[in-house]
Amino acid sequence: MHETYGLLEYMPSVFRALGLTIWLSWLSLIIGAVGGLVLALMRTSGWRVLSVPALLYVEIFRSIPILIILFFFFYGAPLVLGINVSAFAAATAALSAHASALMTEVIRAGIESVGRGQWEAAQSSGMTYGQVMRHVVGPQSMQVILPPSVNIYIMILKESSIASIIGYVELTATGLLIREAHGGGFAILGIIAILYFIVCYAISLAGGALERRMKIAGSGLHMDGTR
Amino acid sequence: MNSFSFSLRAIVPYLGELQTAVLVTLAMSLATIGLSLAIGLVFAVLRQSRSAPLRWFATAYVEFFRNTPLLVILYFAYFMMPVIGLRMSPFQSGLVGMTLHFGAYMTEILRAGLIAVPHGQYEAGHSQGMTNFQILRHIVLPQVIRTIYAPLGNQLITIILGSSLTSAIAVNDIAAWMQTTGSDTFRYFETFLIAAIVYAVLCQVINLTRIYIGRALFPDNR
Repeated sequence: MHETYGLLEYMPSVFRALGLTIWLSWLSLIIGAVGGLVLALMRTSGWRVLSVPALLYVEIFRSIPILIILFFFFYGAPLVLGINVSAFAAATAALSAHASALMTEVIRAGIESVGRGQWEAAQSSGMTYGQVMRHVVGPQSMQVILPPSVNIYIMILKESSIASIIGYVELTATGLLIREAHGGGFAILGIIAILYFIVCYAISLAGGALERRMKIAGSGLHMDGTR
Repeated sequence: MNSFSFSLRAIVPYLGELQTAVLVTLAMSLATIGLSLAIGLVFAVLRQSRSAPLRWFATAYVEFFRNTPLLVILYFAYFMMPVIGLRMSPFQSGLVGMTLHFGAYMTEILRAGLIAVPHGQYEAGHSQGMTNFQILRHIVLPQVIRTIYAPLGNQLITIILGSSLTSAIAVNDIAAWMQTTGSDTFRYFETFLIAAIVYAVLCQVINLTRIYIGRALFPDNR
């Protein structure tokens, strides 16, 4: 009983840390969505010079742990490039890089879900590539893109916990610090896990509602963006 | 200012430890795959159970572990063991955390396999005079395997990638090798390249094996 009471004092800093976790993962998702859009346009361009690098990028992030990428940005990049990289910058870079690989596949599926005939119809009425993307393909592909994006956000939010390993004090690192200040035990880590659960589960329920609303047609993708 | 030069020479003395680290990663991944499949099978059956509390329990398990970070679960398992009086090595508590986390994903994969076979097919089998074993062997299993084959292959790769997080609780796997060798030699870029290549080779071997076996097993798919 005493142990749980003592932990309550730390709750304000725990909630501040939860805010940092949400900010870090949200920022990474936005950067990842922009990167994913560029890579998806490269993959669907039909030019090998563009589509092969994009494919390689996606495959690399499917076969290397995100922790290794994070170590590269935090320890390796400063040595190679001779610049200073903060823990926050390294974590944002690693998570955005992973998010963009995941988003590429989702956005590509969205673009490909729009039938070939619509492309031809739009182009035969004199629309440019940019116009077709903006007015014809874009709006329709959002149906396929949005629901899995919610799951990618949840994945990135959970993954942002690895920022604690390089010393960025977000939710997980805060839990570890409190544990030390509080003389060991594991109760605080249980509380941290429950906080992650509440946030992620709420987002996934909202995502489920969104998906039902948009009545996603078979896109050939699982909800987590894998094939 | 930039005086970086690429050199692998400093890494050479550490390659012996890399070999051990690869074995640790493989052992952790294989043990997790076996145990999480077992856990997943139990919970997949529980989720189909007629008893509501059992169903609820299984659903709560799946939703909790799918919505919490693996790293937090690993720390939780690591710090909990001594408090509840269990003496476990980092590898063992890592395996507990990995199994709990990936068991939830396995449950969902196996459940999708189980519900892929409509009940009418069991009745059809019985009406043809087939025994339960024959129905399982000739009707149910082929369809279940076909349904879970691709997601299971993806999951194997996710488990190998996820096992890198056990380095945070002092398991000496490839990710831990990269960090200790990097800080010993200050050759972070070279150790990063080696670790990345080792992981990529492990994952691509599994991926290609999955694709080739898949083509042999299900020639009519794609």
